[in-house]
Formats: sequence, structure tokens, C-alpha cells
Amino acid sequence: MSLGLAGMGWVTPMGSDLTGVWNRLLNGETGLAQSVSSPFGRAYPVFPVPAEATAQAPAHPRLRRSSAISRFAVVAGLAALKDANVELDAEAAARTALIFAVSNGGVIYTKRFYHEIVQSGAQAASPLLFPETVFNAPASHLAAILGISGASYTLVGDGAVGMLALKMAENLMESETLDRCLVVGAEEADWLLCDAYAKWRLLRSTPPIEPFEKPPRGTVLSEGAGAVLLSRGGDIRLEKVAAGTNFRRQSEAGDALERVFAELVDGEIDLVVASANGTFIDAAEDAAVLQNCPKAKVYAMKQALGESVGASSLWQTICGAQCLRTQTAPPDSRRIPVPDAGVSRARNDGQLRRVIISVCGLNQQVAGLRLATP
Amino acid sequence: MPEYSRVNQRPDAVRVAVVAAGIVSPLGFGLSETYATLREGRDCVSPVTRFPVEHCRCKAAGQVSDVRLAGAGRPQLRSERLHRVAQMMILALGEALAQAPGFQPELSVVGTTSGGMSFGEEYYRSLRGGRTSSHRAACLIANYTPQKPVMDAQEAFGLSTPCQVIANACASGTNAIGHAFDCIRSGRYERILTGGYDALSELVFVGFDSLQASTPERCRPFDHERTGLVIGEGAAILLLENLESARARGAKIVAEIAGYGISTDNHHLTQPNPSGSGPRQAMEGALLSAGLSAGEIDYINAHGTATPFNDAAEGKAIVELFDGVAVSSTKGMMGHSLGAAGAIEAIISILALQNQFLPPNINFRNGDAELDLNIVANCSQPGNVRTVLSNSFGFGGTNASVIIRAIDV
Repeated sequence: MSLGLAGMGWVTPMGSDLTGVWNRLLNGETGLAQSVSSPFGRAYPVFPVPAEATAQAPAHPRLRRSSAISRFAVVAGLAALKDANVELDAEAAARTALIFAVSNGGVIYTKRFYHEIVQSGAQAASPLLFPETVFNAPASHLAAILGISGASYTLVGDGAVGMLALKMAENLMESETLDRCLVVGAEEADWLLCDAYAKWRLLRSTPPIEPFEKPPRGTVLSEGAGAVLLSRGGDIRLEKVAAGTNFRRQSEAGDALERVFAELVDGEIDLVVASANGTFIDAAEDAAVLQNCPKAKVYAMKQALGESVGASSLWQTICGAQCLRTQTAPPDSRRIPVPDAGVSRARNDGQLRRVIISVCGLNQQVAGLRLATP
Repeated sequence: MPEYSRVNQRPDAVRVAVVAAGIVSPLGFGLSETYATLREGRDCVSPVTRFPVEHCRCKAAGQVSDVRLAGAGRPQLRSERLHRVAQMMILALGEALAQAPGFQPELSVVGTTSGGMSFGEEYYRSLRGGRTSSHRAACLIANYTPQKPVMDAQEAFGLSTPCQVIANACASGTNAIGHAFDCIRSGRYERILTGGYDALSELVFVGFDSLQASTPERCRPFDHERTGLVIGEGAAILLLENLESARARGAKIVAEIAGYGISTDNHHLTQPNPSGSGPRQAMEGALLSAGLSAGEIDYINAHGTATPFNDAAEGKAIVELFDGVAVSSTKGMMGHSLGAAGAIEAIISILALQNQFLPPNINFRNGDAELDLNIVANCSQPGNVRTVLSNSFGFGGTNASVIIRAIDV
């Protein structure tokens, strides 16, 4: 079975236009970080999604009370369908599966709901908020908007969850009853998450993210969504998805990534779109690349868009596919520690044929995939 | 009938065996205790003690004993970083692996709704109270994530299998079993670890209470005077394997997963379409996937939460599709364990097959006049049970049904 990426869409801190964001990445631009403050006096940087990026969200009743994560997902999902020129009538929707990847989920409503319990007692808890705290609420909204009536799954995990969702899609597409599978990863940022990641000693106090710097200086959280539409055609082939493995300690992440690369590297690899984000991941990923595909260029897109956890694997996949589609790649992250606007793009005209998307999560999961031109 | 899993009906389709199972729930620790409690029809719902419930309508839940968890005797359970649902998972996985020594899964597909959410609650409260050490705070953060309990359980037994953790609300456990079944049936995998887990959390408990979905009275599935659910908790593991491979290596075959159906009901985020179309589509899909007719199902382990809307929609779908099949919801005994429910109820279905009995639907007084269901009322009954259908439905309109049958069919 040969699967391809038929369509792509994203909502990022640099906007939601596929080509527009891509060009900004090529130019070495980064999202605009803002400071979010906790009520306990701490401030953290995040890369937020600008309001205009979700302005085209449909005026659907399901989005009336929904959290930001649902709007991100809907905009990205619809963009992927549009990119593929697919319109889902009832028959097509019945032959389309939806897989949703998320890590922290609707954290803003979850925090508000629990805050009411802590602050005022259970009798103050809002029945309007609770349903939006459930992990599969965004997937439910998207399915309702698209009319998907068959298979819909929400997967939870760390930053590798989007890759696990793509693996699940590959498995689902074994069924002849499906023509396509929409895979969406999404996340929303909040001070509570920043506080947690800071206590976990993974966050830095100010941007930028500096991938592959030694010692690692920490990451910056971001938000948004990425969506890819898989079908049995498509202009970018999904050659192999490695479901990966788990590591117990951060020091074992390199060995785990090594196993993923061993599964994915088969012949020449032109580019690795890495998950390096300024944490322990970077050294592990760098070592795996050097060991398995030393000639490959490496691009760590989180330096530009931040660590969006549940959305990040999808963003990386879209980035890899764009490299293949446009035969152009952003500059190698290992040689440009601090990306500045105006850095000249690295062109690889006609030379990009195979790209690995490498994903190491912050909470023990690793996975990856290999994309190729037809 | 829609064509959901036509690929699975090929004459050469791989058959999928359950080679082992393990369970921890309010019904007991392990398969034997669970079976004894089911035969007895014991009500295992008790007053909530883990957090304050004085301002809730519902004040009871099906709970797993912390004392028994602590005394289970496994050294892996002692770590302070482990959430109690991870402890439940370790016990369930340990029981399953003891039946299938050397079982090496290629993939884990498990369901949950909130994993170790109470660690997240503790973290949030600690921010306000400022009384938690930085070490404890980091521990809470790293271990509250929903996927962590299954990874902890795997780690306890030296497994590093990739984990697909499905969070399809209350259908998660059945979705996990169903997807694992599809993966093996497609020929892509030989062995998969599947199941589900969830532990009581204040946020979720109060959430259902705020929706008035939980009841201040007894949980009475399918009763005319049903007033809602009670929350439960637990963990259940099933080890699935290509039947042919399992037979070739001389494995004990516990049962066969024969079919799976999934549907998405877009009617409302928290309420099913009253027509019962979502559950009906899932059950039809499972029958089609198994190549069975409705008349070949001997018993339905219903989702049966005891909320007025859920039971009405599910009951309507059952009445439309089946003719007098025995039906029970076992949630009256143990509460609704959310992401674990489907896996726990799959094991209950297997126990029904193995022991030729129908698990009871307790607290049942009067049937709903609108639903002409053949309820296994209050007491377990002997039965000729060869094929069981188990349902799970959840928020977000997720509906899942699996069909499990005795292996010699």
C-alpha cells in the first residue's frame, strides 16, 4: 500500500497560510514571543497564535463555546482538505477517518473548571466548561463540522503523539472502506503549562530557542495545529512510519532515537526535520543523525515556531513535505545557532528526494517517518 | 447495512485470539475475584473518600482499595512517582503476562480519559498553597500525563513497546481493543497489548456531577426510574495475538475477538442522538466485521450508564437490531470506569463465555416501557453463551462495539 500526503494545513505563531508561513521559515524568521503571567507572579515567554490566523474559522455552532485548541484544529483541518481539493459530501465523509493528536488538550478550560472547584467548591463547577475539558472534544467538533460519521480517534501522548497518529492512520488505511484519513495535531498554550514545564526544568526564561547548543538552554512553548490529509495518492509519498519506542530516562533518549533512525534510514537521506527544541532532545537527535545519515542537512523548526507538543510532529511533517514539494529547505540549524530575519535560504534545487521527520518527545516517546518524492 | 470493515470479511482474514487478560476494578483484583463478584451480583459502589463531595449531588463511586493496592506485594508499586492508576495497570499487566510468559507485543493500544489527572489536581492546588517541594512538583508534572500509566506498567516488565493511547472519552477502552483487533486482522501485527485504565479524579467526578449525569441514588441501568451514573475506576489488559501464531506456539487461547464497529455521532458533544443511530451504526459495523447476524449474539454487555438519554438511545438501537437477546449493564455493580470501562467489560464478557453465565444488571426494579429489553435483572444467570457483543459510547459522539466469542465456534 502506498500512502501520500494529499493536503496540508497549519495554524502557527506565524500565521495559517501554508505558503506564507513557509516563506517566512525559509527566510529564517521566528514567531513573535509574548509574555504570559501566572496569578502567582511568574512570567513566561510563549509563541501565541495571532488572532488573524483563525479569522477564517467557520461560524459553526460547535465553535460557539469551544476553546482555542478546537478553533486551531478546525482551521488547520479545513485548510488541509482545501489544499487537497477535497470536498466532503456525505459519501466522502463516510469514507474519511479522523485521527486527532493532543498532549495537554483543552488546558485553558480545564484550568478554569478546576479553579472554580478549588476556589468555590464543587457546587460552582460549570457544566458548560466540563465537556470542553475532555480530550476528544476538539476532534468531536471537527468531525461534526466535516460530517465524519465513521472512525474518529483521539490519541494522547507527548511531542511524539502526532507521529503515533500518523502510524495509526497508516494502519487504518489498510481498510478498503477508507479513501483518506485526516490527521490533526493541536495544542493551546497557557501559563499553567509554562509553569509546569519550567518546574520540569525544560523551559527557558526568554527566547530564542537555540537548537543543538551545548549545554541546552531550554525551550519556549507555543500553540497551534497541523493537519495532513493522507490518501492513496498525493504528491508526497509517506514511505515509512516508525512507531518508535519509549525511553525511561532522558539519558536513554539517544538510544531510543537510534532505533528509530535505524528503521528509517534506507539509502541516502537529504534532510532531517528535527524535533530539537533546546532541551536534552537536541544532543540525542544530533548523535542519531551523525550516526545514521551524516550527510543529511538538519532543520529544527521549533527555533522558529516554538514547542507546540501535540501539534509539533504535524508541523514537522508539513515542513518536510514542503521541502520536497518546493525543493527548497531552510538553513541548516546546526550552523545557525540564532536565526535572524533575512538569513539567506538554502536552496537545494532538484536535490531533495528523501526526508526524515525525527520526533523525540519530552516525556519518553520517540518516533519518526520518512517522506519522499514520487 | 454500511460497509465499515469489509476488509475483515475476507475468507483468508486473520483471526485474532485473546491469549491472556488481567484486571483490577472495584469488583476485585484479578480474574477470579472479578468472576466471584459478578456471580454474586455484589454492589461494589461505596462513599467517596478521596476528595470532598459534600457539595456534589452524587457522593459514591466504584473504588479500588488503596490498602489492597499497597499490599499487592509488587516491588514496582512502591515508587512515590507512580500514580495509583499506574499501580493498577502494573497489577493488571502482571496478571496477564503471567498467563502468557514471553509475550512480546509489537504495539500497545490502550484507552483512557484522564490517566493520572489527580496528580495534575495536586499540582494545581500546590501552586495555590505553595507547599510542595520542587522535586515533588516535577514528579507530579511528569507523571500526570494520560499516557504515563501504560508506559510505567510496560517499564515494570521491561517492555518499551510504542504506545498508542486512545482518549475517545468513555469509548476509549473498546476503541483500543477494536483498533488492536483491526491491526492484527490486517496482517500488519502479530501481537498487541491492549486495554484501558482510569482512576477517580475530583475534576472528572465533579464534572459529571455538574452535568447532573451522576446520580445521588443507586445506579440503575435500563430501569424506568434510572437517574444517572456513578463513576468508577480500574485497569484491564488483554493480550491479543494472531490466532494461528498463538496456536502454533501452543498458547492457551482465552477467546476470540471476532468483530469491531466504530461510529461518530455528531448530534451533540455530550448527548447521543435520541434515534440511537450512533450505537446502532457501531453494533452493525461489529456484526458486519465479524460476519455474523444479530441472531448469533447470545448476550450484550451494554454500555448502560443509567443516564436517561444514554440508556434510551442504546436500548432503542438494541431493540431495533436484536430480538430478545439477553442484555445487562454491569456498571451498577462497579460504576462507570470511563476509559477503562470497555476493557473491563470485555473481560467480563470473556468471563461470561468461559463460565457460561450472564452477568447481572443490579438495582433493577422496573423496565422502561419504551424499551422491550431482555434484562438480566439483579442476579447472574446460567446461560449458553458463545458470542458476546460489548458496547461503549462516549462524549464527543464516539461509539464502539466489539464482538467476542468462544474459541471453538
